[in-house]
Amino acid sequence: MTIIAVSLLITLANAIWSQASPTTFVGIVRSVCNEAYIHRDDTPIPAEMNMKIMIRDVIKTGPDGSLGLIFEDDTIVSVGPASEFIVEEFLFNPADKKLSFVVRIFQGTFSFLSGQINKLAPDSVRLETPDATIGMRGTHVLVQVVGRR
Amino acid sequence: MFSSRLWGGVDVDRYPLSCISIKYIFLLLVLIVLLGCGSKTMVVLVPDTDGKTGAITVSNSAGSVDIATANQATTISGGQQSPPSTPILLEQKDINTVFSRALTAQPIPPVHFILYFISDSNELNSDSFKNVPAIIQAIEKRNSVDISIIGHTDTVGNDEYNYTLSKGRADAVACLLMNRGVLQNHITTTSHGEDNPLIQTGDNISEPKNRRVEVVVR
Repeated sequence: MTIIAVSLLITLANAIWSQASPTTFVGIVRSVCNEAYIHRDDTPIPAEMNMKIMIRDVIKTGPDGSLGLIFEDDTIVSVGPASEFIVEEFLFNPADKKLSFVVRIFQGTFSFLSGQINKLAPDSVRLETPDATIGMRGTHVLVQVVGRR
Repeated sequence: MFSSRLWGGVDVDRYPLSCISIKYIFLLLVLIVLLGCGSKTMVVLVPDTDGKTGAITVSNSAGSVDIATANQATTISGGQQSPPSTPILLEQKDINTVFSRALTAQPIPPVHFILYFISDSNELNSDSFKNVPAIIQAIEKRNSVDISIIGHTDTVGNDEYNYTLSKGRADAVACLLMNRGVLQNHITTTSHGEDNPLIQTGDNISEPKNRRVEVVVR
């Protein structure tokens, strides 16, 4: 009886520790040039080196801005000027088989160098654009979106 | 229906039908713009930092295109109802023209270190212990504030035991780094258990190379 209780307790503790809490960051800013903002809860925050990125953050660059991010699974994302995208989903928890990475690109130029989530679960990584969905297997992909809706 | 005047150069009193047509054409154009048929997406596959090329699939409700050759691109013009175009090879200079700012903004890739332990303990073996100064150097070189320490196990044995052992080892490495000046709030420790192996094995297979702690410096 004690063994069952302890096992349940360990499993529960395991489950709690391995959940990404709402305040867990999913990436970090590692290059910034000129105007670049992180929009979080409708508040624009000027992007700075080493700033942490959360799920649902909208990244926006100005007419001469650029930004580079490294995500927790080693994915490298960078954008050129007049660009905008949102991190819709990011789950990197192989021990619980929770893997997913979805980015929605609204406009601009975008570079995506895939990381461990794509290596472990290729179908769980998607880039959404106004005109199409992009799936990938271990790769570097460039996307340009013009004339946003 | 209108007083005598010109609409788009056409006398609308004499040609009321033209007035109606032009109005509807205008409304249609507005509608097309609003529906985003003026938008265009271009997707290009390029080699990664090791020079290897992966593969992409670009799809919408109208069609799907696969690309596995470097520098090939597909374009979708006119919304989700237009299928992605047949891939064409782009010249490197054209790729650079469009994407130079995004490419120059790419950060240095993270560096990974793999550490091994003396059997059933939280002590690094001597080879791995010699790697610790290199980890500190990588952190200092990048002024890194994002260091992940991840415990891994092989597929042998009890999940809870493996999780606890690998997490304990990750914490031991965190201590080693903190003793050498790395701030605790720059370090995240976790365990991936048996689900992110270095070497793929079947279930319940002993593989010492999978029983490791990985340090990732971003």
